[in-house]
Amino acid sequence: MSRIGVFVCHCGLNIAKTVRVSELAQFAATLPDVVVAKDYKFMCSTPGQEMIANDIKEHRLDRVIVTACSPLMHEQTFRKVLSASGLNQYLLTIVNIREQVSWVTHDIDEGTAKSKALLNGAVNRARLLAPLTSRVIDVNPDVMVVGGGIAGIQAALELANTGRKVYLVEKNSTIGGHMAQFDKTFPTLDCSACILTPKMDSVMQNKNITLMTSCEVSEVKGYVGNFDITVKQKARYVDHDKCNACLACTEKCPGKGVSEWDEGLVKRKAIYIPFPQAVPQKPIIDRDACTYFIKGKCRLCEKVCEQKAIDFEQQDTFSTMKVGAVIVATGYDLMDTKPLVQYGYGKYPGVYNALEVERLFNSAGPTGGKVTMRDGKEPQAIAILHCIGSRDKNNYEHCSRVCCMYSLKFAHLFKEKTSADVYQFYIDMRAAGKGYEEFYNRIIEEDVKFIRGKGARVAESADEPGRLIVEAEDTITGKFIKLPVDMVVLSPAMKPRADSKDLARLFNLSTDKYGFFMERHPKLAPLSTMSEGIFIAGVCQSPKDIPDTVAQANGAAAEALTIVVKDKMELEATTAMVNPASCCGCQNCVRVCPYGAPFFKEDKGVSEINEALCKGCGLCASVCPSSAIIARHFTNEQVLAEMEGLMEF
Amino acid sequence: MATSFKQIEENLKTEAGKLLDAGKVSMVLAYGRGYDEKHPLPYVARSLADVDGMVFNEYCTANLARYLVRYPRGTKIGIAAKAADSRAVIQLIQEDKVKRDDLVILGIPVYGMKNAKTDEAIDAKTTCGLYNPVIYDVLLGEEVHGQPVLSPYEVLEKVEAMGQDERFAFWKKELDRCIRCYACRKACPMCYCDPCFIDQNKPKWGEKSPETGGNLMYHLTRFHHLAGRCIDCGECSRACPVDIPLYLFHKKVAKECEEMFGQAAGMSIDEKPALINFRVEDSDKILE
Amino acid sequence: MSFEPKILGIACNWCTYTGADLAGTTRLQYPQNLRVVRVMCSSRINPSFIFKAFQLGADGVLVGGCHPGDCHYNTGNLYARRRLAVTKKILEFSGMEPGRFRVEWISASEGNKFAEVVREFTEEIRNLGPQTKFKIS
Repeated sequence: MSRIGVFVCHCGLNIAKTVRVSELAQFAATLPDVVVAKDYKFMCSTPGQEMIANDIKEHRLDRVIVTACSPLMHEQTFRKVLSASGLNQYLLTIVNIREQVSWVTHDIDEGTAKSKALLNGAVNRARLLAPLTSRVIDVNPDVMVVGGGIAGIQAALELANTGRKVYLVEKNSTIGGHMAQFDKTFPTLDCSACILTPKMDSVMQNKNITLMTSCEVSEVKGYVGNFDITVKQKARYVDHDKCNACLACTEKCPGKGVSEWDEGLVKRKAIYIPFPQAVPQKPIIDRDACTYFIKGKCRLCEKVCEQKAIDFEQQDTFSTMKVGAVIVATGYDLMDTKPLVQYGYGKYPGVYNALEVERLFNSAGPTGGKVTMRDGKEPQAIAILHCIGSRDKNNYEHCSRVCCMYSLKFAHLFKEKTSADVYQFYIDMRAAGKGYEEFYNRIIEEDVKFIRGKGARVAESADEPGRLIVEAEDTITGKFIKLPVDMVVLSPAMKPRADSKDLARLFNLSTDKYGFFMERHPKLAPLSTMSEGIFIAGVCQSPKDIPDTVAQANGAAAEALTIVVKDKMELEATTAMVNPASCCGCQNCVRVCPYGAPFFKEDKGVSEINEALCKGCGLCASVCPSSAIIARHFTNEQVLAEMEGLMEF
Repeated sequence: MATSFKQIEENLKTEAGKLLDAGKVSMVLAYGRGYDEKHPLPYVARSLADVDGMVFNEYCTANLARYLVRYPRGTKIGIAAKAADSRAVIQLIQEDKVKRDDLVILGIPVYGMKNAKTDEAIDAKTTCGLYNPVIYDVLLGEEVHGQPVLSPYEVLEKVEAMGQDERFAFWKKELDRCIRCYACRKACPMCYCDPCFIDQNKPKWGEKSPETGGNLMYHLTRFHHLAGRCIDCGECSRACPVDIPLYLFHKKVAKECEEMFGQAAGMSIDEKPALINFRVEDSDKILE
Repeated sequence: MSFEPKILGIACNWCTYTGADLAGTTRLQYPQNLRVVRVMCSSRINPSFIFKAFQLGADGVLVGGCHPGDCHYNTGNLYARRRLAVTKKILEFSGMEPGRFRVEWISASEGNKFAEVVREFTEEIRNLGPQTKFKIS
């Protein structure tokens, strides 16, 4: 016999509007073993929690059912109430009548009926729940940050400053990310390098940070508090321990590669540092551009290197780090606009994408900061086309959030550096941010022309060879426009890194349909993920600007710290166990477990489960033909009883 | 020309004798005399003297692989195995219930086996349709060639052609007759669970007395447990005292598994049972 | 009275259950015939759960898991895909209408898809009428 308490939450009107909550409580009171059933406005509030705590004592409850919002929302909140009242936290059952009932119907009869069925199932299940003991594990105090853009840099520095050891893993040969490519940042027009490079340098100097450039995560094992992460150090062909960063090699090198940092606008050497302020300041060899690797001879770099640091035989190496938490901050790529043939990117030399233009403005860029086009001329008229691929059902539905603002910044810089007429083709101007609307107004004052209408097509001018025509509908006047310009700047959609899905798989993250990492909760846990101990920051979660990215990075650092600051932590107790009396020794569990938790005891002819490795998925329980495996908290009996309850009404 | 039953019996005795005499195995699983010729029994020879008790005739249908799991791991066993029986041996090796090295498989190529109850020939209709063992160490006769090769799945046509309601009525009628004697699982070489799920009380998957609901639960779940593992020997149906054509259901599941996963049970010791395996490129179409 | 189907849903915690929550958070409307059991992974689903659900009177059973490749436990749903496919074939060959059992991959971000699938499936079950074959009265 159980003593079950049922607590029905109104959630203000969120639930009460489409579920008759008091009727539900009265219904609960009629169910077997339910000794108290109440409804209350906000069960998660302090008075609500106190009510549950008091009833546990007063009615000697041994099971608690909270009929409220999703367990993903407040299961932890109510588990704490049970624990504080001396009841094992796993004796709690949450019935989700908000997200899965009241919010998805307008019909109060239907909502109430479904809630009753769910509650009936929960009472059936609650009766069979068993108290479980959480596993306490040691926590590794170190943290890994994946991605060395501004988000990763910021998070790594914050953590390192608290005394934690941080591994900062970056797949390129320098940290800095996209921010290092920019000239100015909106809306303050700060010099990007002036605010970023000191941080890059701090990373290099910080004793607590192990900087791992040209590195990629290749395997992730373990769980929160105890990750074993294998990192691949890609061959650089330069021994960075020997290299003294004299860069003599980069001067002599005859090889030519495409400068990624300059968005392919110019060539760089085959042995190179991406840009003068790169961190670390040590070069790598681009195998695909190196004369020696292509033709089998050259080795000029080797000859000039006094440190004997060049090593053409270098191989990829792998090392495994132990960390307690991980921050993933892998940033973004711009959408490839070539497939959008109507804009002529890649076809007409006068069409640029936003990052290329960032490089044109930059004094360290291919033009030394002068706005000259691929043909060497200065443009007389420039059109900036917003929302290329963004806010577009055929490409990316989301707003990329930063394009309006950087397009304004571009307009300002064009005005500053050229005498060109500048036109903005926009759908809506979105300038929500501190100082952003003010910046917008300032640019309007600068004689930039705003045309409300999405650029529809870019074509070659028939009358003036070499010039381009931008076609659009001005939605204010309703007129169709054909505007002759010299230069077109596309503001393409921001999308996750091409390999974000692979990374998601490694770290067990969920992604949305484009590959942006999913947060645990859009409002209340925006930096946590469904994988305990893995946090996200920056654009890999969704498009955002630098201030938001930095804020997230700080937040993620704090979140990671809450884990690694403790020596020990509790893990979910919902692991599987084998009942040896029923085990037939088929070893199905051993064969299917992705974590290697079950093992076979030859002498006894039965399987056992190493609970430290078990993650509680329950796969073993379902492949066990003799029902010998007990998936704690989701046992066969519990699931069957719940099903029975659900189907009764 | 197939080797005669008499000759196979002689060869069986000779080879079993050699193995026992040389101490290569501690027992040989074969067939022995029953109360009449039609009812030979499973037989264990542990010494040279036991070999004389062996028989082999057209009624030796029992799948001796059933008995392999009874002995402690590591026991060296010789086993007489016809085609389907050899597939059961392979399947048990896949499932690591026995080790290949612990077995000496005395393969029996044979044609013309009979169902003792009906005296009908056992062919692809009720068994996997093979005549020659898939795996063996010693072959106790010449390989059978020149006999018609029949698809084991042709027999399904009639039931497959039924409408859903008709088929449900067919199976309901059949399964309702089940008296829950569990002869099917006793005869099955792959049913080695102890206890069987249906005998559990926590949870109670279904009624234990013979009635519609419990019968359905027992049989459907058993079909699933044997999916990708059933080697289609047909012994479950021959063992059934009320003649439920369980083999039809098993064949259907085996056919579906072959089509979906591209492998048949018990054909290669290097494979993994289909349902405790996956391929990333498995198609979602299999769920349609 | 018109026929109101009872549909049992079994949803994995990480994708489909969260996707169902998202459908709620975004206030998408769908029929109330579905009652969801939450499990940690679609691979937890024992074939017997499905048979049992029909015996308990479910008119339809909907299983939801992560998209293949996105399983929170790496490979759980890849096993589940095979096991549930066989479950489906067994149901069909036993005479159960094939439309009564459905498996869908619905991610945590696919609230829309969840609502859409529930609408569609409920309609399909409504058209099939009450499930009487397995139901134990």
